[in-house]
Amino acid sequence: MAEVLLGIETSCDETSAAVLVGERGRPELASLVILSQDVHKVFGGVVPELASRAHLATLPAVVERALDEAGVSWGAVDAVAVTAGPGLVGALLVGVVYAKALAYAGDRALIGVHHMEGHVFAPAVEDPELAPPFVALLVSGGHTLLLDVPAWGRYRLLGQTRDDAAGEAFDKVATLLGLGYPGGPPIERLAVQGDPARFSFPRPLLEDGFEFSFSGLKTAVLRAVRASTDLERDRPHLARAFQDAVLDVLVTKLERAVRLTGHHTAVLGGGVACSRALATLASQRLAGLARVAVASPRLNADNAAMIARAGWWRLEQGERSDWTLDARADLPLPGLEPAPATPHSALRTPHSP
Amino acid sequence: MSGYWLAIDTATEIASVAVGRRAGAGPVQSETGAHAQGARRHASEIVRLVDFALAGLGIRPADLSGIVLGDGPGSFTGLRIGWAAAKGLAQEAGLDLVAVPSLMAAAAGAAVKLGPVPIAACFDALRGQVYGAIYVVHPGRVQTLVAPAVLTVPELVRAAPLRPQLVVGDGAMLYADAVRAWSGAAPVPLAALPPAASVLLSLFTREGAARVITDPVTAEPVYGRLAEAQVKWEARHGRPLPDPSRPRG
Repeated sequence: MAEVLLGIETSCDETSAAVLVGERGRPELASLVILSQDVHKVFGGVVPELASRAHLATLPAVVERALDEAGVSWGAVDAVAVTAGPGLVGALLVGVVYAKALAYAGDRALIGVHHMEGHVFAPAVEDPELAPPFVALLVSGGHTLLLDVPAWGRYRLLGQTRDDAAGEAFDKVATLLGLGYPGGPPIERLAVQGDPARFSFPRPLLEDGFEFSFSGLKTAVLRAVRASTDLERDRPHLARAFQDAVLDVLVTKLERAVRLTGHHTAVLGGGVACSRALATLASQRLAGLARVAVASPRLNADNAAMIARAGWWRLEQGERSDWTLDARADLPLPGLEPAPATPHSALRTPHSP
Repeated sequence: MSGYWLAIDTATEIASVAVGRRAGAGPVQSETGAHAQGARRHASEIVRLVDFALAGLGIRPADLSGIVLGDGPGSFTGLRIGWAAAKGLAQEAGLDLVAVPSLMAAAAGAAVKLGPVPIAACFDALRGQVYGAIYVVHPGRVQTLVAPAVLTVPELVRAAPLRPQLVVGDGAMLYADAVRAWSGAAPVPLAALPPAASVLLSLFTREGAARVITDPVTAEPVYGRLAEAQVKWEARHGRPLPDPSRPRG
């Protein structure tokens, strides 16, 4: 098993490299470098071609810096883990091909990693005691997934979004409110000043099952923005009401999943998990039921440390990618099993008194 | 150091690699190479192609003197695949990188038979345009008559100081009638030419052919075009996009 592993992540608009150092089963994060591509802010979203160009221009320097900060020489690196999908295929390709060439040039082990599996492993970078079984709620700009994780590398899909991802809804609503991109942080900052009773937005699919839907909520915010006679005055209240609605849906379904599975740990991952409000609400609702494991914000955003950690585990299982490793925008999650048949009664959460 | 150079070109539908070294005072001669047809295969095949070529000579990437890259313009994604591979191969050993226009490689491929006469190369640039250039390839130097640019075939005809004897490339095939009327000869597809990488090896030491890359870590190919979103943003705002390929972190 590798003792020094270099992780690389280029699936969207963060160029990231990380070094894990350690013994079998106990890797420690030696460095993490994340270069955020500011260029997309003026577009209000990621421009794939610009993201791909920026990855090529910056990735080798990001990797050099990660090695420097870890105090590791090239010769010490045993293995390379890289995000192979899902994501923007042009962006992924830069990381995948560069990683393959690094691995080939240094005769190193290579492992392609699923981006969302990286998010599952993210809290384990800081919390080596974290272990399945647990429920994972992964919420980002591209995904909203609720997973039952009975063991590392085994996933049962409980639910996912039918339309917009939760992070996507934050971005779109931030645009409606005239806030910056990405939308989560400015909405959360503004929501603190908002009155939770001034507006109320629907909680889509709140009462049943594990599926999510956020496009209708976004439309409801649009109507409220258009109806507002003083958007400057209403903006914090709209932000608060929108955030409350999204977090209520997310945490209600997370609680339902915890009750169904009986697991005592719930993992929050993905960019939306950077929200302190989400972690706080989840901890409140799951008190006495499950511990909430959430990584620090740097490890919840797209980053190479989580890719390295997931790759470390896969290498420990004896897996290797060969030189034909390719990037796939729609890479399926490895180890995904059909969800167990769920009794209807378990799909509804008892209301709190 | 073995004196071997590796060449990589992925600007077109054909990804090619070649390895060779200088024999005496002449240009670098390709000793082995490999190529794969189909843009969708470039990413999965590129390291295997390199491995095939190097293994045939019993050498490793660290044994190379440097890497010659097809500089574009061409397929954005294709170029990045070749350049990402080269950066990964070169970084640890600190190999030199040099870049030669991919259009020059195509023209020089035809010059192997035709000699030092004007030859135009055109790659499909979509939207009715080509990446076009015109060269005269001499034994020790390359004369650029029209530097690589994005234009229509009629625009390339107007820009040409001399009529080319031949026009090569997938862009030439796409506008075959106009090309035939211009040069008097049927256009030649890329598949009928020597693989670009082997030509890059023979070109890069000639005067007027190569761009020496001073900072391989941050280097980028010549894409030939800005990203479309950038073009629209700059047209709307009347100023350049702030530092698009040098994100702040």
